[in-house]
Amino acid sequence: MPYTKPIPEPDPLGQPFWEGAKSGKLMLPRCTSCNRVHWYPRHICPHCHAREIEWIEASGEGRIHTFAVQHRAFGGWADETPFVTAYIDLNEGDRMFTVLRGVDATKPETIKIGAPVKVEFEAASDDVSIAFWRVVEG
Amino acid sequence: MPGELSRAAAIVGAAEANEIGYPEQPRTAIQLHIEAIKNVSDQTGIPISRINGVFGAGWSSQIAEHLGLHPSYIDTTSVGGGRARGADPWDPGSLYSNPYGVSGAPSNYSHAMTRHNYRWGTTPEDFAHIAVVTRQWATLNPRAVMHSKETHPFGGPITLEDVQNARMISWPLTLLHCCLVTDYGGAVLVTSPEVARSVKTKPVWIAGAGENMSHSNMLEMEDFTATSAAASSAAAYKMAGMGPEDMEMAMIYDSFTVTAGITAEMLGLAPRGEGFTLWKDGRAAPGGSFPINTNGGGLSFNHSGMYGMQLLVEAYRQLSGTAEDGGYSGLPGKQTSARSCVVNGTGGSLSTTGTLVLVAD
Ligand SMILES: [Zn+2]
Repeated sequence: MPYTKPIPEPDPLGQPFWEGAKSGKLMLPRCTSCNRVHWYPRHICPHCHAREIEWIEASGEGRIHTFAVQHRAFGGWADETPFVTAYIDLNEGDRMFTVLRGVDATKPETIKIGAPVKVEFEAASDDVSIAFWRVVEG
Repeated sequence: MPGELSRAAAIVGAAEANEIGYPEQPRTAIQLHIEAIKNVSDQTGIPISRINGVFGAGWSSQIAEHLGLHPSYIDTTSVGGGRARGADPWDPGSLYSNPYGVSGAPSNYSHAMTRHNYRWGTTPEDFAHIAVVTRQWATLNPRAVMHSKETHPFGGPITLEDVQNARMISWPLTLLHCCLVTDYGGAVLVTSPEVARSVKTKPVWIAGAGENMSHSNMLEMEDFTATSAAASSAAAYKMAGMGPEDMEMAMIYDSFTVTAGITAEMLGLAPRGEGFTLWKDGRAAPGGSFPINTNGGGLSFNHSGMYGMQLLVEAYRQLSGTAEDGGYSGLPGKQTSARSCVVNGTGGSLSTTGTLVLVAD
């Protein structure tokens, strides 16, 4: 089935992330000076302002920090309302934004902040895979 | 002790474009700006030719040129207030947020409400009180879009049930937790103490001012239940030599009920997690001890996408007493007896804030 939702145009700065995504790996930037992970990719560490940044393969695990249920959307997402968006606290630190899978968008009261989630990737095109997060059994 | 710039400038007039809301004839942005400026010039008696600085949410140089002015100071802002995002494909939002179907402010701000409910044990109903009370203010303002059934099919008083049963936009935000989007033009005239003392209108003194920001993209919002208004208001209070306990009313950007509730906490008007109680127990309501958003707010008055000017115009009216003058205020009479007001605008995704402490003579 063709991917109908917005496909980002990968940037040089985030190249390791986009490459990793294609093979199902979550790659995160980490500062070699303070060892802290940051998201999104930066030209400089936002914590200590060192410029030496390496990429690590992350566990792909995290927890729901907060979420919302989108009842209005545009483009391809309009066909999928309601769907759940969430900010994910990554096990390695910092946060990602995503559309949550494995949840019932019509029953938001059953979705729990703090619930464990795992990353998965969907190929949106030959060049771009998108990270989604799925609620897993705690 | 107040800072050296405290009360170094005063607002001496505040006016609106002739037609706001949903005018029958389409208005251009420049027309709304120019009408408001002409009106504030008429109100104060200060000729447009004497304007020597232009500050707008965008548009500053176009406004100055349209007026045939050569001001010695112009400035503008790009810190948001519902601004359309640039289309840079490598903007972090384009890369890491927009692929996930979020579209505009409601789809972001809802995440803050969910977190506030979780962290502080609040409920969407708690925040719904903000929409109900703000609508009460709108019913007193004939220029409010939601004043009555005459001004809008869905205008007039609303109940908690109306708010909670309204169409869901981005859970937990229903339509009535969200502000309007309307046409609006406003202008305030700021001047020196010397000029302020010589014009026919009353001065409202800029006792304190502060700005701050915590993030641009919501990805970087560390605490979804706090904004930089804590820092911007701390700076404004310090400059004013005053504190939240000295404030007699507030004008708070209510892009959403959750924005107003959280901001009230950040301004020190209520403890963390309890901002909504100002509305729930009636203190913020007409006749209450601490009026908030007396124009009817972005929720029920008007909201042009950049609401800061609407806050300032209303704060000036209340503190100066010009709400009584008919004029362009629309209000049937002065609604409060407040002599001090804390004003706070929020831009972006709960990202940027500016706070003013305004005081009347
Ligand atoms: Zn670092």
